[in-house]
Amino acid sequence: MEPLKRSQFLKLVALGGAGLAILGGPERALAALARADNDLDTAALDGDPAAAVAAGTILAVARGTSAGTNARKAIAAIGGMRKFVSAGDVVVIKPNIGHPRAPKYAVTTNPSVVATLVRLARQAGAKHVVVMDNPVSSDPANCYGASGIAAAVKSAGGSMHVMGSSGYKSYAIPGHLLKTHPLYAAIVNADVLINVPIAKQHGSTGLTLAGKNMMGTTSDRGRMHTLGLSQSIAEINAKLRPELTVIDATRILVRNGPSGGSLDDVRVKNTLIACRDWVAADTYATRLFGMKPAAVPSIKAAARMDLGTMDLSSLTIRTV
Amino acid sequence: MSDEAQVEEAPREGGAPVARRREAGGWKAARWVRRAVQIVALVFFIYLLFAALQRRAAFPYADFFFRLDPLAALGTMLAARQWLPHLALAVVTAGAALVAGRVWCGWICPLGTLLGWFRFRAALQAATRVPPRLRSVKYVLLVVIVVMAALGSMTLLVLDPIALLTRGFTTSLIPGFDYVVGAVESTLVGWGPGSGVVTWVEAHFRGTVLPVYQPHYAQGAAIFLACLFIVLLNVLAERFWCRYLCPLGALLGLIAKVQALRPLVGDGCSGCNACVRACRAGAIEGIPPGAGGGGEAAGARVVTSECTMCLDCLVACPEREALSFGLALKPGPWAAYDPGRRQFLAAAAIGVGTVALLGTSVARAVKAPGLIRPPGARDEGAFLSRCLRCSECMKVCPTSGLQPSLGQGGLEAIWTPVLASRLGYCDYSCTACGHVCPSGAIPKLDLDTKRKQVLGVAVIDRNRCLPWASSTPCIVCQEMCPISNKAIVLSDRHLITRPDGTKDYLARPEVVPKRCIGCGICEYKCPLEGTSAIVVLPTNPSLAVGGAPGNSTSPEG
Repeated sequence: MEPLKRSQFLKLVALGGAGLAILGGPERALAALARADNDLDTAALDGDPAAAVAAGTILAVARGTSAGTNARKAIAAIGGMRKFVSAGDVVVIKPNIGHPRAPKYAVTTNPSVVATLVRLARQAGAKHVVVMDNPVSSDPANCYGASGIAAAVKSAGGSMHVMGSSGYKSYAIPGHLLKTHPLYAAIVNADVLINVPIAKQHGSTGLTLAGKNMMGTTSDRGRMHTLGLSQSIAEINAKLRPELTVIDATRILVRNGPSGGSLDDVRVKNTLIACRDWVAADTYATRLFGMKPAAVPSIKAAARMDLGTMDLSSLTIRTV
Repeated sequence: MSDEAQVEEAPREGGAPVARRREAGGWKAARWVRRAVQIVALVFFIYLLFAALQRRAAFPYADFFFRLDPLAALGTMLAARQWLPHLALAVVTAGAALVAGRVWCGWICPLGTLLGWFRFRAALQAATRVPPRLRSVKYVLLVVIVVMAALGSMTLLVLDPIALLTRGFTTSLIPGFDYVVGAVESTLVGWGPGSGVVTWVEAHFRGTVLPVYQPHYAQGAAIFLACLFIVLLNVLAERFWCRYLCPLGALLGLIAKVQALRPLVGDGCSGCNACVRACRAGAIEGIPPGAGGGGEAAGARVVTSECTMCLDCLVACPEREALSFGLALKPGPWAAYDPGRRQFLAAAAIGVGTVALLGTSVARAVKAPGLIRPPGARDEGAFLSRCLRCSECMKVCPTSGLQPSLGQGGLEAIWTPVLASRLGYCDYSCTACGHVCPSGAIPKLDLDTKRKQVLGVAVIDRNRCLPWASSTPCIVCQEMCPISNKAIVLSDRHLITRPDGTKDYLARPEVVPKRCIGCGICEYKCPLEGTSAIVVLPTNPSLAVGGAPGNSTSPEG
């Protein structure tokens, strides 16, 4: 008997696979096909054509009523998830889950945005996709649940992680202020860190955006407050250097932030910003509040440390 | 059964050593059942401890053992002058005592089970040296407790065995356990494969077996030492606490005087005293021959009020007919050490005197003695007459802000819960303490109602607050305030002159007392070291009356 040619072998495998799929039940086979159709969004994984030819750093602004779709469009517009996540990577996604509030209050990151990023990171080949935050006004289980993020992440195949006190280590921090500071080791050691804040008003820093969201990686916020908050925020970002920043502005909180709790203070913007440069993303996001970037001192401090640019004209801004 | 038939040596003292056959197999099996029930009850007790550990929603039967506890029920209902259906299950335990005596002590009580495991070799010899009259101490304690409860004081309910054990676990054993786990993890996390183990442990056990945050309790070490002392008393006699001190055991013992089913000494008894030696409670008295002066045969008698129904005597008895288990309608014997009328009267007098002494505490002279009570427990007097001092609320509190009080409310309020906001705040989305409180001292509230409970009111110390005292920008308290329209507002921007002469605008926090519910998150989060620059004080009626009208009543969790 002559050996199988490779093409014949592949056909056999395909037939066998189809047979197994049918044995496994037509519904399941169909569902698998449907999943592949819907979910393997090649543009969001590999980038859309325009992203391939754009010069320099791209800042994508996606608009639309579906937050999940906005996330896919924005990621496609900046070059696709595979540009950030390689096969076998451990990916940490850091939303803002600081308070136990339902998504409608615009206090925590939109769950569909987080779930979409989890799904894309997994499809890009990530070994583990872990979502975590160190909530401020209640315990993690409460905040993870109330924000809707726990359920969304689970259905997207990611896992929620509770940041226990033993997981923090003291790290050397670039800059002149903190010198050393405790950060969560699993976040520092992640292959890819995706920062997914929600845009909202905040008393101490003007707004809380991507830079401020990284405060959820430390166990000692008090020291940052007393030493100088804006510079501290810039410095821990200089250590953490997130690979990708996605700012959720589906609904934004314009007053009584960051903990909110009243729908009167919420505005619907149906907007999502994605960029590898968080300083640029934060700079752009201030526009949604009709504010100048200079009103958020942590952005200025970060630009001074060369962590990114406040000069939006140096970027390619793509509205999708 | 015949294969399980025992060949037991006859006793060394008295009579020739003749091997006698007796079928103890059935009693042996029953004793295994008793041991299994004890372990199941203890495991369930520990499960409930963890099911209500730093949660916002606890297992609804977290207080199951308290509901079965007749001392807790009697004390609370007397002190509160109210029939409390929630504690009515205690009738089952009391009823069981009518039927079969102190089965609670021998079969169910988790403290009894644990103390039974701490057997010291010396105990067996020392048992006889503890004067039997000490057994009446538990009755004295019981009468003192009941008299005090009748006068509205629950203070001595700190001696309830279930409360005692729960308090020990809450304030010392569970925090100590978590501390050890955390220390091991911190060592492992820096070492390659170790960090994987830590991640796995954290992912699977944090929030269930391990508390979310390391708990810290005032007096944890002191309460642990008190528990250790009770264990060490076992050196003097087996289950010393149960024999001599336990007021719940005394209550059940009084009922057990008329228990229907009990070990009965029959005519076949040779007075070998095997049962006397086997009895862990020391409840069997050997009767030497001719004790009645009329040349009767030797025998033994079981003091039902001391018997925990452990069945060891029935296994140990070498005679076929000597010891059996059966129905008896005659009250059990009144032992020489049982308390008499004078002791009862003295105990009652002690109870009255203790209440009087506690009532003269300075804490009573101050309107609000600096105590921030759990949400809904506003009337201090009513609260003290309901609180079992069991520490369930402290254990379930997700921030461990509820702490056992020591001096603040006077001795009468010892180990009642107070909110120490610098250690932990009252979580805006939590109602757990009211849901685990066995006696209803903390009311069960739905989230909306609980959010309107005023615990106290926050006050800013402008001499210490960063933006007020040193013109350093800080608004952490305002940021953390969970009230949707903020009970802490940033006052108009103040023009300040910096040390270098430059002028700048600065936001400074101010409390709006009408909106403040005193949850204490501001005091907890204030970044100052040591004492916070914003502290929650007991409500001042001139500042906040009848709840906070500006609160959000949003239904989300």
